[in-house]
Amino acid sequence: MRMHSRRDFLARSATAAGMLALGADRLLAAPSAAGGKAADMTIAKWAGFQQPTAAEIPQIAAKLTEKAIEGLGGMQRFVSKGMVVWVKPNIGWDRTPELAANTNPEVVATIVRLCFEAGAKKVKVGDNPVNPADRTYPASGIPAAVKPLGAEVVMLDKVKFKEATINGERLKKHLLYPDILDCDLVINVPIAKHHRLPEVTLCMKNYMGVIEDRKTFHQAIPECLIDLTRFMKPRLCVLDAVRVLPTNGPSGGKADYVKLKTTVAAGVDIVALDAFGAELLGRKPAEIETIVKAEQAKLGKIDYRSLALREIAVS
Amino acid sequence: MSKRRRTSLATLLRRCVQVVFLLLFVGLLLAARPSPMAGAQPSPWLKSFFLIDPLILVATFLAAHAVPLAMLLALVTVAVTIVLGRVFCGWICPLGTIHAITGRLLDRWQSKRRDHWSPWQRGKYYLLIALLVMAALGVHWVCVLDPLVLLYRTSTTALLPAGQRAVEESRTAVLQDDPHVGPLHLTAVTEPVYGFLHDHIFVAPYQTFLGGGLIALLFVATLALNAYRRRFWCRYLCPLGALLGAFSWRPLLRRSVQADCCNQCDLCAMTCHGAAAAAPGDRWKPAECLGCLNCHDACAQKALDFRWDWPWRKEQGTEGVDLSKRAALGAAVSGLAALCLLRSTPGSRRLTVVQKPKVLGFLTYEPELIRPPGARPEREFLQRCTACGLCMKVCPTGGLQPALSEAGWEGLWTPRLVPQLGFCVYNCNLCGQVCPTGAIEPLTLEAKQKLRIGLAYFDTTRCLPYAYGRNCMTCEEVCPLPKKAIYTVETKVQDVDGKEVTVKQPRVDLQLCIGCGQCENVCVFRDRPAIRVASANEARNEANQTELADEGPY
Repeated sequence: MRMHSRRDFLARSATAAGMLALGADRLLAAPSAAGGKAADMTIAKWAGFQQPTAAEIPQIAAKLTEKAIEGLGGMQRFVSKGMVVWVKPNIGWDRTPELAANTNPEVVATIVRLCFEAGAKKVKVGDNPVNPADRTYPASGIPAAVKPLGAEVVMLDKVKFKEATINGERLKKHLLYPDILDCDLVINVPIAKHHRLPEVTLCMKNYMGVIEDRKTFHQAIPECLIDLTRFMKPRLCVLDAVRVLPTNGPSGGKADYVKLKTTVAAGVDIVALDAFGAELLGRKPAEIETIVKAEQAKLGKIDYRSLALREIAVS
Repeated sequence: MSKRRRTSLATLLRRCVQVVFLLLFVGLLLAARPSPMAGAQPSPWLKSFFLIDPLILVATFLAAHAVPLAMLLALVTVAVTIVLGRVFCGWICPLGTIHAITGRLLDRWQSKRRDHWSPWQRGKYYLLIALLVMAALGVHWVCVLDPLVLLYRTSTTALLPAGQRAVEESRTAVLQDDPHVGPLHLTAVTEPVYGFLHDHIFVAPYQTFLGGGLIALLFVATLALNAYRRRFWCRYLCPLGALLGAFSWRPLLRRSVQADCCNQCDLCAMTCHGAAAAAPGDRWKPAECLGCLNCHDACAQKALDFRWDWPWRKEQGTEGVDLSKRAALGAAVSGLAALCLLRSTPGSRRLTVVQKPKVLGFLTYEPELIRPPGARPEREFLQRCTACGLCMKVCPTGGLQPALSEAGWEGLWTPRLVPQLGFCVYNCNLCGQVCPTGAIEPLTLEAKQKLRIGLAYFDTTRCLPYAYGRNCMTCEEVCPLPKKAIYTVETKVQDVDGKEVTVKQPRVDLQLCIGCGQCENVCVFRDRPAIRVASANEARNEANQTELADEGPY
C-alpha cells in the first residue's frame, strides 16, 4: 500500500515537473500510465531550459536514470531482497566518457545505487571489451563511479568463459561468461551509438559483451543478436542516451561527433527500446534489419508508442 | 679439506651491495609495466641501469655522434672506476652477481679449478675493439653483448614470459579442475596469487616473444661457462668489463703484497673473481681485478692489503694486460669485415642519388619491419637501438617483438611491431618515453596518434566480403582513429547460387591510416590475416612513401 501511493506520488510529481517544463502537449502524446499502473517503458528527458554544461551532465544523467526507473515502478519491480545483479554497461573502448563510446558512468552508478536500495545482496559490473580491458575500464570512468557504492567491478577472465547451449536459429552453442548467467538479474545498460554494420548499436548489440570469440558474428549479425537476446531473456534494459554517437561509431573519438540528447530510456521491451534509440540516432527503425527481424522473432514491438509508455520531462 | 675461512665485514658488505643492486634491477624490471591511462608518464627510473652504463654511452656516441643528456650519468661510473677499479663488475653489475652466484654453486660440484689469469682473458679487449670499430661506423652491435642489456633483454623476452606462462597454465588448470577437500578449494589460494601477479607483475596476458628461446640460449650458455671457469663471461667476454678494465689500468686503490710475509700459498688466486693474478704471489693485473676483496679475506699470512696510490706510481707487483698491437689491429680489421658482412644485404644497400641526399633509400624494404612510433630513420635507429627490450616490456599489447633477421642481422633483436600478436595502442606513447638512447623519440600523445608507422592493405583473395561474399567488417569496427581509416563500399556480388547479394566491402583510406595494426590483430583469419600492415608510408622514411605528396621527393 505504501509502495503504491509512493509510486503515485512520484508519477504525479514527475508529470507536474514535465508540465511545468514543457507544457502539456508532449505529455498528452503519451498514453500515460498515470492511472497508477507502472509503465513498460519510460523515456526521461532533460527539459531544463538551459543547455547543460559539462559539469552538470553527471548530475543530470543520474537524475534521468532515477526518474526512468521510477517510472517503471522503481527498481524493486526487478530487484528483490538478496538478489545478485549483474549490470552490463558498454565498456568496450579506450575512450573517456565525453566521447560517448562507453555507457555514461553516472547512469551505471545510479542503477547500482538503486539496486542496493532495492535490497540487492551484490551488484557486479562488467563487460567484455573490444580494446584491452585494463585500459577501457579506467578510461570509461565506470569503476571509479561504482566502486564507492559497493559494486564489484569484474574484468572478465578469458579462461572462465564456458560453452553454453543457446539453441538459436543461427547460434547453437557459444562461449558465455558463466558468472553473468549465474546472476539473478542482468540489467542491460548500453549507450546509443552508430555502428557501420548493424547500423546502430543499442540494447541487443550490447549483449555481445557477455560472450567471447565473437569476431564471426558480423557475418550474420541480426540472426546472432536475436538468438543471443532470446537466450539472455532481457528483463530490464536502460538505454543511456545522455550523450550519443549518431556517426563515427562505435568508438567515436572526437567531441564533435557526440550529440547531447540528455535522455535515458528504460523498459522491459528490448525491441521497443532499440526502436526508440534508432529514432534518437536519426534512423528509421523499420530500416534496421536487426530490429525488424527481432520483432518478427517476437522479441518485442517496434512501435514503442503502443506500449504503456511514460515520457518524463526532468528539470 | 681446508678450514672454513672467516668472511670479513667488507666481503659481507660487498655481497649485500650485490644483492641490493640485483634486487633493484629486478624491481625496476618488474616495475616497467604500461600504465593503463592514456598518455601516462612512465617513471624515469625505469631506464636507470642503462644510464649508468658507460659502454652504451661510448657506443652510442661513436655510432650516432650524439647521446641523450641523461646518459652522461655513466661518466660517474667511469670516475668510480678510475678511483676504485672495476668495482662496477664486482659490486654492482647484476649479471656479474648472477655469474658469481652461479660460479659459487658450480664450485661445490667441481671444487678445484685453475684460477690464474689466462692470456685468453685479453679476448674481451679485442672483442671490444672490434665492436667499437663497428660502432664508429654505425652498427650498434656492441650492445647485443652489453651485460646490462643482455640481462634485461633475456629477462624481458624469455625468463619472465616463461615464468608467466607457467603461472598462467597452472592457474588455468587449477581453476578448471577445481581440486578441493571438502569446502577447502585450492583456488582460494591460487586465485588471489594469480590476481596479484596479473595486476602488478604481468604486462599483458599471455605475453610471449618471437625467438625468446634463442635469446635465452645465449644467456644460458654464458651461465654454463661458469662450469669451466668461474665468471667466464666477466673474465673472457664482457665488453663492458673490457671497457672498465681500460679505465682501471692503474686505479687509485690498489692491492699491495708484503713480499716478506707472502708464502706463495696461492689462496688469494683461488678465490679471485676476476682471475687477476697471473701466478702465485704478487703478480697482479688491476684491469682484471673486480674489487671483490676475496683475496684479502683468504690471505692467511695477512700479507695482503688494499692501499691508495697515485696513478703515476707503478706499484711493484702489478702488471698490465699487455695487448698486442698486432692483435688489436687484427681485431679492428675483423670489426670492419664483420660490418661489411652485416651490411651486405639488399636491405641495407643504399640507392645513391647524389643530388638528392634526402631521398636516399635502400634497395629493398622489409614489409614486415614496422618500427615503433617515433623510431628514427632506419640507419639512425640502428645507430642507437641497444635492443635492450625496455620498449617491448612496456608495450601494453605485447606487439613489440625482437626482430630476428627482418631488420638484417645488423638489427638483431631490435623492436618491431607484429600486429598479429599485438597492435599499437592508440592512447599509448610509452615506448618512446622509456627508450634510454633515444632510438625511439619521445612523442606527445597527440603527435603519436597522427604518426604513420605503416599502412594497412587488404588481401582481397581472403577478405570475406571480397572473396566469399559475406559481411564482416571486424577491422572497421576496431579502427581507433576518430574518423576511421577503413570505409566501406556497398557492392553487389553473386552468391554461390547466382543470387545477387549486397555486401559492404572495406577499403583503407590511404591518407588516414597510421598503420597501428589493430585491424590485422582482430581479423577473422588467424593464420594469415586478410588485412595486414606493411611498412609503406611510415613517416620516418621519405623513400618509402606511396603518395604523391605536394612537395614530393621526386
